[in-house]
Amino acid sequence: MTPIETWVQTPLAQAIGWTLVHSLWEGALVALVLAAAFGAMRSSRGRYAAACLALLAMLAGFGFTFSRAMPRQRSRVATVVNIRGVSLPDGFEGKNRLAQRRAADFPPWLAPFWMAGVAIFHLRTLASWMAARRLRRTGVCLAPDHWRERLDRLRARVRLSRPVTLLESCLAEVPVVVGYVRPAILMPVGLLAGLPVGQVEAILLHELAHIRRYDYLVNLLQASVEGFLFYHPAVWWISGLIRAERENCCDDLVVATHGDAHEYAAALATLEQNRWSAREAAPAATGGNLMQRIRRLLDRPEAPRRALTPTFSAVILVLTAAVVLTAWQSKAGQAPAAPAAPAPPRRETTAQPLSEMGKKQREEKLRNELETPYRKWLNEDVAYIITDRERVAFHRLTTDAEREHFIEQFWLQRDPTPGTVENEFKQEHYRRIAYANEHYAANIPGWKTDRGRIYIIYGPPDEIETHPSPSATVAYPFEQWRYRFIEGVGTNVIIEFVDSTGTGEYRMTLDPNEKNAMLGAPNPFGPVFTSSEPGAGVTVTITSDRRMLIRIPLDFEAKQYDIYGRTRRADTGAVVSVFEDAPRLCKDAPGTSDCLPRPVFQPFRAVTLEPGKYIFEATVKDRAGSAQMTYTVSFTVE
Amino acid sequence: MVENPPRPTDAELELLTVLWSRGPSTVRDVHETIARRRPTQYTTVLKQMQIMAVKGLVLRDEKQRAHVYAAARPREWTERYLAGDFLRRAFDGSASRLMVGALSARKTSKKELVEMRRLLDEYEKGAQ
Repeated sequence: MTPIETWVQTPLAQAIGWTLVHSLWEGALVALVLAAAFGAMRSSRGRYAAACLALLAMLAGFGFTFSRAMPRQRSRVATVVNIRGVSLPDGFEGKNRLAQRRAADFPPWLAPFWMAGVAIFHLRTLASWMAARRLRRTGVCLAPDHWRERLDRLRARVRLSRPVTLLESCLAEVPVVVGYVRPAILMPVGLLAGLPVGQVEAILLHELAHIRRYDYLVNLLQASVEGFLFYHPAVWWISGLIRAERENCCDDLVVATHGDAHEYAAALATLEQNRWSAREAAPAATGGNLMQRIRRLLDRPEAPRRALTPTFSAVILVLTAAVVLTAWQSKAGQAPAAPAAPAPPRRETTAQPLSEMGKKQREEKLRNELETPYRKWLNEDVAYIITDRERVAFHRLTTDAEREHFIEQFWLQRDPTPGTVENEFKQEHYRRIAYANEHYAANIPGWKTDRGRIYIIYGPPDEIETHPSPSATVAYPFEQWRYRFIEGVGTNVIIEFVDSTGTGEYRMTLDPNEKNAMLGAPNPFGPVFTSSEPGAGVTVTITSDRRMLIRIPLDFEAKQYDIYGRTRRADTGAVVSVFEDAPRLCKDAPGTSDCLPRPVFQPFRAVTLEPGKYIFEATVKDRAGSAQMTYTVSFTVE
Repeated sequence: MVENPPRPTDAELELLTVLWSRGPSTVRDVHETIARRRPTQYTTVLKQMQIMAVKGLVLRDEKQRAHVYAAARPREWTERYLAGDFLRRAFDGSASRLMVGALSARKTSKKELVEMRRLLDEYEKGAQ
């Protein structure tokens, strides 16, 4: 993967990408609202304020969307989370869904381009700012005294207290204001002497109005906003409106102070004409907005102007809504809504090395998207008691708020006394976990051991027979637990655990001969069927009570594995079980008990399956590197 | 003068601006104008003016006791030399994005100029 591909997968790039997509419709909406407001407003000051507000709203919308899209930092979270919700290896997806996923993966790629654009536009603004400063220093001289005195009088008339420098410039083409702290008016050299005094005064008043209104500063900020939202046509439209209304505001002030609109309009026309004769450059095809200003000054009806942008905005609004919805659906629809949802028939594949392309594509999909506290809840706290349907539903949730709500409902549904504050089921469940951790911990935490699992699922057995030391007939220490009755399993259930490794970790016997002893009662968990595709390595074992036990070898070295698995019906494609985990080998995790002693992974939770044909798929991935294995096993439950 | 004078330096441009603004002036007049904006020596200005006369940037009228200098080219001439300097023009052009003023950076078309004149004339007739 190239650095940019890696970067595009970071939460920052995701957040920026999605913010860009959303800002398209946000901006379009703002533009539509502004267009409506302009229809209702006549005064330039009102329109100017509205346009400025609209620009700010777009910026604020961008910032707000970004802050929402950016995952919040939590103290417990070590890995940062992808905002797009759950994703599974794309081998699990139908073709339609694959296309939608591409749509969802596209926005992060906008981020680098946007950042480059922002840099370019801001560099341009910086260059402009430096050029403006230079223009103020090069090729200028102070205007004659009598003009500067006249300017001071005009300054008093518009009630502007800040000092203003009046300069003549041989480089400025038109009168301009430069600078914010120490503003200066640059007049093209010769203009002061060349125009009637009344007209020059009107022009100077216009420039003073700019200074009084802090237009130079606003313009600078405006250029910066343009630089951030440069990709949005609405920004340029609004920015143009601000510029136009800004001039109108100043024109209004000139007419109010100076009194003679005609003289002022004539001055503007003369200025424009001078500019023409001065240059022999190619004529601009379309002019600025001077024509409209002069019409406005002379109080003539404006020629109807076609406002394309509101129409354009509406189109953008519809388009982005479509894009966002598509992406959204792919995000929400990654797991089917109901297990019965049909999937297109697919060729059964066995585990085989993936092509480079496939690997890369999958890698992008193989993002670990559940935040740690929720993953812990799902894969530890309730791993043994959550139903498959609930698990699938939980994976579909995209926000933390939804997950919190789900957890609340999860416990509430199991509360034997829903009216009371106490939830006895939840209390008992956590007590069992604590008990298991306290009593059955070996190399792995107590709740992960076989005894812990059985204890958490079925509670304390009615009888325990312990054989802590080997004897003549028994090679290893073992325990037999007897339950008088287990719902769905039967009466007088005896489960046997053997410590064949001598580490204190008793394992539930799948092989009756494991402890080298005769068994008193049939083992209800004994192996009935084992399926292992040749070379696949993954073993799926179905017990007599139709529980599926999975064993996944970790065939490559990794400090941190990411494992995803999914079982679905072969006929309908309905997903019946999903798990994900991030195990580490004990040699890579010194000092922790939550690790695998051997490179073999077994999900800590057995799924009960209805009779039928199934396909189990799993992907093992090195979180830091590119190594990855994908397995597929087909099997039948009788 | 058949040949065009060389491009003026920034310092020379400042002196030329004064001449364009005030018309033909003595070195003392020019020095006074410049000194009001930034401190400068009379002799510096004098020397610069003499060099510019040699370059052909200014014309010297020696008829009076105090020599009178005038810009050798009209102000519009800078446009042409700026037009030749593409980089500089781009630089100055970009400055107009940030500056605010009575006229926009974009120019009005010839057609619109004619229309403007017509409007102004009509208005004047209507007022009378």
